[in-house]
Amino acid sequence: MFLAHVNPLQASIFSSLAIVSLLLTFVMLGSHWLRNYVYAFAAQSWLIAALSASVAYFGGYKELYAIAALTALFRGLVLPFLLMGIVAKLNVKREIHAILQPSSSLVLGAFVVMFAFVISNHMNRQPPPAAHVVVLALTIMLSMKFLGFLMLSVRDEAVSQILGLLVLENGIFLGSQILVPGMPLLIEIVILFDLLIVVACFGMLVRFLVVHAGTTSSRALNRLVG
Amino acid sequence: MILSNVVLQIGQVLCVLLLAPLLQGFILKAEERVQRSRGPSIFQPYRDLWKLFHKQLVVPESASWIYLIAPIVAFTAMLIVPILIPVLTDRPLPQSDMGDMLGGGMILTLGSFAIILAGLDSGNVYGGIGSSRAVMLAILTEPTLILVLVGISLLAKAMLPFVVNHLLLSSASTYWSPAHLFLILAFFALLLVETDRLPIHSSTHLEIYMIDEARILEYSGPLLALLKWASMMKQFILYTIFCNVFILPWGMSQLGTPLGQLGSIGALLLKFLLIALAVVVVETVQSRLRFYRYQEPLAAGFLFAVLAIVSSQLL
Repeated sequence: MFLAHVNPLQASIFSSLAIVSLLLTFVMLGSHWLRNYVYAFAAQSWLIAALSASVAYFGGYKELYAIAALTALFRGLVLPFLLMGIVAKLNVKREIHAILQPSSSLVLGAFVVMFAFVISNHMNRQPPPAAHVVVLALTIMLSMKFLGFLMLSVRDEAVSQILGLLVLENGIFLGSQILVPGMPLLIEIVILFDLLIVVACFGMLVRFLVVHAGTTSSRALNRLVG
Repeated sequence: MILSNVVLQIGQVLCVLLLAPLLQGFILKAEERVQRSRGPSIFQPYRDLWKLFHKQLVVPESASWIYLIAPIVAFTAMLIVPILIPVLTDRPLPQSDMGDMLGGGMILTLGSFAIILAGLDSGNVYGGIGSSRAVMLAILTEPTLILVLVGISLLAKAMLPFVVNHLLLSSASTYWSPAHLFLILAFFALLLVETDRLPIHSSTHLEIYMIDEARILEYSGPLLALLKWASMMKQFILYTIFCNVFILPWGMSQLGTPLGQLGSIGALLLKFLLIALAVVVVETVQSRLRFYRYQEPLAAGFLFAVLAIVSSQLL
């Protein structure tokens, strides 16, 4: 495992990139505007691409450069572009948070991060120099998964639910880049294309919902339509 | 030839004194160019100061001695701060240890405090509005400033800006650590507020938006020139701290040769160009916030400072 020989500079760069991506998840959690969610997701994807590239550079994994390029292209450009298309078609620019206000969801998010930290602190078996990065990566991976799940469960706009799913997935991807960087290229490409299909399907679903039900909010979809 | 330390220290102060209007002129010009108009020349602030120094001084009847002394206090405070911070050389110069970062912050605040008193002094309504708004902003910015200073001294284990500069130069891992990056973000939020930029200060000086301009509305002639010069110098000093202590610690003269000094002035101007362009981008994309949303960018800055301290303790 290359993290066993991590030096302070690498540790700083990895932890900075990971922490800023976690921060962007909080931007999504606390914002009102659908457009901001997409921008935050795009920025997060670019950071994860930078993380892959730096792991590739410091760890000597050649194939991670390709992964970084694919991440930047698909998650950083194509997916946000498709999502912006979906947002532009909706007549909703701003989400109404019926279940949880942004401020309370931020507080809840903070507790989730603490929970993730406790779990990953228990899971860690590495000695001190590597332990910082390992615990941090695990914490951020778990907390991004929890936060994505939180977004999926408390948001009712279709676009925010897609983004919740994407954040959840970004978290796993980020953690895997740091913790198991030698993950085979094929699996990562499969994940990337999975995401593309998810967004395409959601796009069709949203279009269908707008035409037939007039809304994409799951709160308004509680009645059977014959 | 190596210049003596006293000459270098005087050079630092003169550099701030003489180049501050140039920075202001450049930002104004760049903002106008972004909006596709021509804008004033970058030397316009010098001409404004020259003009104001040759105008007559008119003192309101209701003004007391505070009105006369405040511009001088503000201007002197801005002349003292460059002694404490690394402007041209990255080593301590004579008298640079007479105050640490908190001392420098206190002297900067003393200048604004004198102007606040002067705004209240003449009894003009606009002066009162400006002073009360400025005090509210100070209440919001001061905690962030203190936390940023605490954060940077926790990183460097010292309260002197020179030590921080040396640490960032020598250790790349500290430079790229999350604590330092969050401190940069927090200080950038402070920089926008303290140098009268959007999203809080308006770029057009109408009475309803005025904050800093309203405090000095009663001034005229040479005293107004001093106040304007002091605010440009404050901007220059904050940019210097942001560049040399926080974000771009490179490109400072180490030996103190005349050529090295010229090189560090050139490097300083280049760094300011980058920061000023970032500020111009913010000013262009961001609209002015409502009065009741002033705390939002400052709360973000505060959050970053807290995060920086937390991560410097955890990692």
